[in-house]
Amino acid sequence: MLLDMHSSASASENNETRKPQKQYCEHHAECLKKIQAVLDGEASEAEKEHFRENMDDCLHCIKMYHLEKCVKESLQAKVDKRLCPDNLVQAIKAKLNITA
Amino acid sequence: MSVIMSEEIEEIPLASSETSYNDAEKNDIFNREFMPHINSMYNFAFRLTMDEDDANDLVQDTYLKAFRFISSFERGTNAKAWLFRILKNSFINDYRKRSKEPSKVDYQEVETTYNSEEAAEVDHTTDLRVETVQDMIGDEVATALNSLPVDFRTVIILCDIEGFTYEEMAKILDIPIGTVRSRLHRARNLLKDKLKVYASSMGYDTDED
Repeated sequence: MLLDMHSSASASENNETRKPQKQYCEHHAECLKKIQAVLDGEASEAEKEHFRENMDDCLHCIKMYHLEKCVKESLQAKVDKRLCPDNLVQAIKAKLNITA
Repeated sequence: MSVIMSEEIEEIPLASSETSYNDAEKNDIFNREFMPHINSMYNFAFRLTMDEDDANDLVQDTYLKAFRFISSFERGTNAKAWLFRILKNSFINDYRKRSKEPSKVDYQEVETTYNSEEAAEVDHTTDLRVETVQDMIGDEVATALNSLPVDFRTVIILCDIEGFTYEEMAKILDIPIGTVRSRLHRARNLLKDKLKVYASSMGYDTDED
């Protein structure tokens, strides 16, 4: 689903397809919520439909989509994930008398 | 404020029925269903407390509680969400009150402020560039994340770093799904503000004059 959305967004920027018309989205706050739901894989059918339509017409929404996607991916991929120290694992198991 | 701060919230999710496990079964559940999540749990604890010693204590307390109340856990259900909920509630009850984090009262003020400003919501797309975020290293993104009030930080960690669904987040945080969505939305706007300020201070190119 996400790939479809993405290719739709990319296609919208392709000069060979219909060019986005709207430079500014007056509903950007609402659109942004729908874009986030799509990126989170949580959008309803109505939200997906609204998203597809906007991605063909609204340059503003396309920009929001790419920024949201980039921030989300940066959080997923770049932020260091701390690993639990081995001695803590051993300490917890020892306190509970857990055997491997 | 002292009244709110002294409120203890229910730490262990209520089970529809309790299960009596023998020692071997407890051992097995702990090793097979609880321990595989310990790195995610530690990362969550560290992102909440922003301190290694506190994260150690929080993870240890959470696993000890999980074992003590193991009869409330239904085998084969979502252990990760169950454990995250206990950790989050332990953090609120035991750690948050002694930390310098904004209290529940402060948080409510923040959320109210954001609610009232929603009508005139700032448009974040015009002043933070994709390229700017792409150029940032992990520590810079983490610094922006760490600067958010803990409740906003929490929803971003759960959704974007740990990949929980909105429904799972609603259970972990004990709030309705609609609140999960709106809190995430506000948290992300706040994060973009922080990224933008950081980018400007570091001389990254933004559209700001």
